[in-house]
Amino acid sequence: MNNTTRANNPFDKFLDLTCLTPFGLLTILILAVLPFVPPFNHEYLIRWLISAALMACLAIAFDFTAGLINIVNFGYCAIMGLGAYTSAIMVSRLGCNIWLSMLIGGLLAAMAGVVIGVITLRLRGIFAACLAWFFGLALMGTTIKLVWLTRGPMGLEAKRLMDTQSNVPYYYVILLMMVAIYAICRWVTRTKMGVAFKAIGQNMEAARTSGINPVLYRLANFVLSCTIAGVVGGFYAHYYGILTPDMMKTAKTVEVLAVAYIGGRGSLWGGAAIAFPLTFAMELLRSSLSNLPGINLVIYGILLVTVMIYYPGGFAEFFDSHIRKTKGKVMGYILNGASGGNNTI
Amino acid sequence: MSQELKNGLWAKITRNMSLANISIIATILVAVLATLDRGGYMLVNTLVEGGMIALMSMGLALTLGVLNIPMFAHGEFFMIGTLVGYYVFTPLSSYMTSHPESYLVFWGPIITILAAAVAGAIAGVIVELFIFRQLRKRSRENWVMNSFLLTVGLSVVLINGHQLFFGADFKGIVGYYHGSPLTILGVYISRDRCFASIVAVLVVALFWYFITHTRIGRAIRSVSQDETGALMVGIPINAILMLTMALSCALAAVAGAGLLFMYPSYPTVGLMPLYMAWFVVILAGLGNVMGAVMCSFMVALLRVLTITYIGSGWDLVFPSILIILILIFKPSGIFGTEVRGVLDK
Amino acid sequence: MLLEVKNLNAGYGYLQILRDVTLNVDTGEYVCLVGPNGAGKSTTLKTIAGLLRPQSGEIVFQGESIGGLPGNKVMKKGISLVSEAMNLFVNMTVKENLAMGAYTIHDKKKKKDRLDFVFDLFPRLAERSDQLAGTMSGGERKMLAIGRGLMANPSLLLVDEPSFGLAPLLTESVFESLDVLVKKGLTILLVEQNVTKTLAVTDRGYVLENGRIELSDKSSELANNPHVRKVFLGV
Repeated sequence: MNNTTRANNPFDKFLDLTCLTPFGLLTILILAVLPFVPPFNHEYLIRWLISAALMACLAIAFDFTAGLINIVNFGYCAIMGLGAYTSAIMVSRLGCNIWLSMLIGGLLAAMAGVVIGVITLRLRGIFAACLAWFFGLALMGTTIKLVWLTRGPMGLEAKRLMDTQSNVPYYYVILLMMVAIYAICRWVTRTKMGVAFKAIGQNMEAARTSGINPVLYRLANFVLSCTIAGVVGGFYAHYYGILTPDMMKTAKTVEVLAVAYIGGRGSLWGGAAIAFPLTFAMELLRSSLSNLPGINLVIYGILLVTVMIYYPGGFAEFFDSHIRKTKGKVMGYILNGASGGNNTI
Repeated sequence: MSQELKNGLWAKITRNMSLANISIIATILVAVLATLDRGGYMLVNTLVEGGMIALMSMGLALTLGVLNIPMFAHGEFFMIGTLVGYYVFTPLSSYMTSHPESYLVFWGPIITILAAAVAGAIAGVIVELFIFRQLRKRSRENWVMNSFLLTVGLSVVLINGHQLFFGADFKGIVGYYHGSPLTILGVYISRDRCFASIVAVLVVALFWYFITHTRIGRAIRSVSQDETGALMVGIPINAILMLTMALSCALAAVAGAGLLFMYPSYPTVGLMPLYMAWFVVILAGLGNVMGAVMCSFMVALLRVLTITYIGSGWDLVFPSILIILILIFKPSGIFGTEVRGVLDK
Repeated sequence: MLLEVKNLNAGYGYLQILRDVTLNVDTGEYVCLVGPNGAGKSTTLKTIAGLLRPQSGEIVFQGESIGGLPGNKVMKKGISLVSEAMNLFVNMTVKENLAMGAYTIHDKKKKKDRLDFVFDLFPRLAERSDQLAGTMSGGERKMLAIGRGLMANPSLLLVDEPSFGLAPLLTESVFESLDVLVKKGLTILLVEQNVTKTLAVTDRGYVLENGRIELSDKSSELANNPHVRKVFLGV
């Protein structure tokens, strides 16, 4: 972080606040105007955009735990489902306000995060992942069986967020959520807590001897990431309007995991960036090659395996090493002429 | 006063018997009680399921203990077993219906099992050569987590690959052996179940002999205990790793083919066996192969009890809760783990 | 010349530890490699033994170039490493550990002969032959590690810090056993931090500092070398 150039103009202040780079801001703006640009002004494409943005939100929060403190929350989608079901039930049974219910869904998810965080405290990474996995399985199983509450496999109807047939308002809601989620997560990493996360993720013992209490930070990380999952789950419920226990299954967490890792673990933004092209590619494949069911997931899997072996830094590393550098060179050339100059942007 | 008495009694019990012995005795007791309560089929079901879960979990324990890979795709090798079983047995069985005197009537199922074992072994070799060896070459750090993620990707590819190439429909067989069921202790046991049990017992026995009394078996055990030490005494590590992977996958495939009469072949058929294998392996202690055999029967009993007394559908929830408890209170498992570093400390 | 190491460069990933290390060991010699902590002594032994890939340089054993060969192949050529961490099979008994040491020997009689030899050298191990390696004391484990290294009848024994963590009495005992082995004709390359003792028993020595061989001489000369005395003996 370059503290010698303090942000003084409002533009830089804005960037600082939202933790975005100029590139990031540009992407968000493009995404924001997309619904008005053909061919994206078709409702089904906006649906895809929403689906992609949902995935982006989940990927960011998932990476917050997996990428930073190196724990794979393998029950992640079950926790999202917990938030979704809670929100839906609060609205339909208790007549609660929808937005409030979404927050309550997040709260319940946070509590689940506390539970998982506490019981995985003494365990090494893989065991924590296993425990989160089983926790998620137990959650899903319970959701299926508690038919009086959740209607089980028959599906639970949820009141829609807004009284509109169009997908566009929903898109802006989720887009805003995505920016907010990224800003929050990124902001936390810039605080002392974020440094602690990095330390814990790299070497527990060393972190402990440096005076960092891993218990607290691990819990804090879990709670934040689970809360986000819960709130996003709430959006999911009140957008799609119907919930089935299927949304909690492990395969869904695997999708989020794949996106987060292909995007670049630890980067936070990588998964979000890659979520859009990936989702579109998958949807295109699914609709065009409908005689080859599941090929999109096969490609997901192959991509994950290949990235993990040959390019573990993911898209974020690719972007950083190739595009940022090139951009720097290009800008240097433009601003300083053929002499190149020593100023780096 | 009664508190002291309780402590005294409990202390006396735990002093004389390890947790392992207590749980074995408890399991046998409970099994006997359940049989007396509901009938002999409780015991039979436990034994048949336990046998097959034993094959699955032995393979998983091998992969964990020797290769240090938390194999999330293990169920997919079970699935490969069912697939090969189906495609080998179906033509055999149609030949048998037109030639009822053929020797294949007896040998057909055995050939099927062998074919599945070979297919599983080949699949294991391919996966080790092209996936894990590549990861091993490139980065040793964070091996456990990285290989786990690889297996997640592999699982996605295999499940959806099955759907892509072989379709999502259920491919089952009527049965391996036709004829009246056998009667043992007043309980009717179908010939297929007898067959499955015999296969399980034979394979477990053969495997036990192999791992304890042969030179290569000892080499495998050495690699699991100290890889560097094994290298230092002249054991070809790569070859042993490949052999172990092949064995592990072959075991899973045999389980799949052996139960084909109960579980038809379809893309996600491996999920339940995967969960069960993981439950067993954590219960027994990671990497402990023979302990896994014992714990298979415990988990099978738990499942049978849950389905009988509480209702099907909960059979995922209770083992999950049990495993969560184990992970909290005794992460090294009932029989203790040979794999280093379970706890964070 | 039994072992020739020429300009060996090795390290871990991006970290280079050994810089142009050159040393020789002739048949029957008792050579030591001493140096301060972190100098790269263990790395040298590990690279010779094939546990680490050299970045550049040559390792020639009995006329054959073995640099870059994996540990199990190097072992088959006749080099045995007794590592600092010992790398014992903790859930196997003493007897099983020793049996694994003879993994590459197929002749049952040869195996038995070697086992008798090791039990002769370390009677303590014979007493505890059915005890699990993980339950033994530090000294016994060191003996087991050396014993296991001897099982395959190596031509060259590489020993890494045999006295590490041992009480003085046990250290004496270990050094005595090594002496016996040298008298029986075994070639030993010893890495140690206990410089006084080491220089007293070995024929020749190399001093390794910061990955480079700084001194190479007869042990008796090294013991009187002022640089050695200053750095290691504080005199």
